[in-house]
Amino acid sequence: MKLITDTREGLVIALTAVRANPLRSALTMLGIIIGIFTVTLMGAFLDGMDQLFRKTASSMMTDVYFIDKWSWGGGDWRLMRNRPDIQEDYLNQLRAKMTTASVFSMSIGKWGQNIIFKNRSVQFVNADGVDEGYLQTNSLDIQYGRFFTSAELISARPVCVIGYEIASKLFPNSSPLGEVVRVSGYPLQIIGVAKRVGGLFSVFTADNAVIMPYHTLQTVYGEKHQTVTIGVKAKSVDHKLDTRDELEFYMRQIRKLKPSDQLNFGINNQDQFNQSIDKITGLLSIVGFLITGLSLLVGGIGIMNIMFVSVKERTREIGIRKAIGATRRSLVFQFLYEATILSLIAGLIALALAYPVTILANNLLLADSDLQIAFPIFYAALGLGLAIATGIIFGIAPALKASRLDPIDALRYE
Amino acid sequence: MDQHTPANSVIYLEDIFRVYDMGVERVYALRGVTVGVARNEYVAIMGPSGSGKSTLMNLIGCLDTPSTGNYYFNGANVAGLDDNELAEIRNKEIGFVFQTFNLLPRSDALHNVELPLIYAGVKKEERLERAYAALESVGLADRATHKPNELSGGQRQRVAIARALVTRPSILLADEPTGNLDSKTGEDIMRFFQELHDKGNTIILVTHEEDIAHHAHRIVRIRDGVVERDEMTR
Repeated sequence: MKLITDTREGLVIALTAVRANPLRSALTMLGIIIGIFTVTLMGAFLDGMDQLFRKTASSMMTDVYFIDKWSWGGGDWRLMRNRPDIQEDYLNQLRAKMTTASVFSMSIGKWGQNIIFKNRSVQFVNADGVDEGYLQTNSLDIQYGRFFTSAELISARPVCVIGYEIASKLFPNSSPLGEVVRVSGYPLQIIGVAKRVGGLFSVFTADNAVIMPYHTLQTVYGEKHQTVTIGVKAKSVDHKLDTRDELEFYMRQIRKLKPSDQLNFGINNQDQFNQSIDKITGLLSIVGFLITGLSLLVGGIGIMNIMFVSVKERTREIGIRKAIGATRRSLVFQFLYEATILSLIAGLIALALAYPVTILANNLLLADSDLQIAFPIFYAALGLGLAIATGIIFGIAPALKASRLDPIDALRYE
Repeated sequence: MDQHTPANSVIYLEDIFRVYDMGVERVYALRGVTVGVARNEYVAIMGPSGSGKSTLMNLIGCLDTPSTGNYYFNGANVAGLDDNELAEIRNKEIGFVFQTFNLLPRSDALHNVELPLIYAGVKKEERLERAYAALESVGLADRATHKPNELSGGQRQRVAIARALVTRPSILLADEPTGNLDSKTGEDIMRFFQELHDKGNTIILVTHEEDIAHHAHRIVRIRDGVVERDEMTR
């Protein structure tokens, strides 16, 4: 009962105080507004990034394992560089032995190539030499045209499938099908355009790749070399870990590794990719919360300052309230409410600003982008919670000061 | 006034000392004051500035505690109570009327009168009802929604009196209640105190003006921290 009346009186006093000094209140709230605005936009951005990452990642299937010289999850780069190459003939050995795999593929990738059509060109594309299985292990979809036939693959025909971004850059107004492009100087006829993958890292996806038969790539870049990537798709998604274990077992056999030896090849899977994404978003959110934390600290100190001023200004009022029976607790509540209401209003203003900003940013700035942001409900709620917490934390010292004033001195104050 | 005892008095101060420690020096504001006020008495406390009159008033009003001595309020010793307990006594038992009215400037008359009931934890409907009744009793029911700066000095003081009465306190403690009013309005207020006394209220009036003090039925004169004279005037 007492708490309810205290609460109501606290709210009335707080709102009266805010209304009495609108400009000062607004200036005080600025820090909090910036802080909550930051955390909300940050949240919108994080959510958007997260979705984008996942979209990118899900363009690769989780039931496919890629044997590669490099491990995706990171690790010692110099160590991985010195690993032996993945040999072409591993594919046949694995295909002969494995029982839990449904599809195998083999591919070679060359980074940083250029592709030219007439007077247009695109730099830094990926040239991939692939086999039949690639379509399934890399879940490549063809938008226009077709994929390679077995005959084209075997006979190393000079044909290629280009990614969506390359197609839109080289052929903004016409169909690329049937046209001949030069990849690192070598003429290839376009027989297909891959479906747009989208996502953040389009440079690494099929969008920015020129895909050709495995042996064609060897013709273009010379036969001898080089490490290949072997894709192995599990028969059953539910038992994909069995496939992984089997793959590791036979790879160890091929590499003649003892059970105690470390792997000298990578068994890569999208799950690993997701883990590293989580690390990145985790880092981003740490930065975001640091910025927010700093703004709230500044905002909180502003609130504390203005509350001390408020206590000073209302010394006499505090004296009156004490004389007619306000307890320390009531006064602590009163000033805490005032600080909290200030910061809560600031939080609401910040959200009212952040909402149209996220919508506008999404519709104007990011209209053509794969990054899509929405008003983040979770971060908005978090922001309001932080605002209230800031009000309470930074309101405590002034509230305690008010409650400890001597009523006689306070009544005499002018 | 030796007929006063802790048992038959509303307030009874017994050998009260109030010492202020000013660094090296100790200032004795009160040096052994014993005084009692019975129910429905109308007492004026008089004294020049520096006499200890204000200190005495603060002690009676439970805004301060004595250095030594006992203070019985309705028979219970309140000398050793803590802040919150004193706040409760101020809230329930004492109605303050100040020279400068001390109304909350941003609140209307009704809210000002309602305030002690809020701190007493009275429910809203009852609170408003009682506050309104108190305003009515001082003749200001039609000014309930006016802020202090929309009221005259006399009206403000009557709002303050309504606030003091709304909790039905044991004593009404008025500190120079006419000090900020012109003499005619001051007379009105003093007449009002007389009416309140006639209705059974216990009134303690602190003043330095003889003619104001003579509205009371008993005058306690303080000088140099002791009771100099304690006499009935009618």
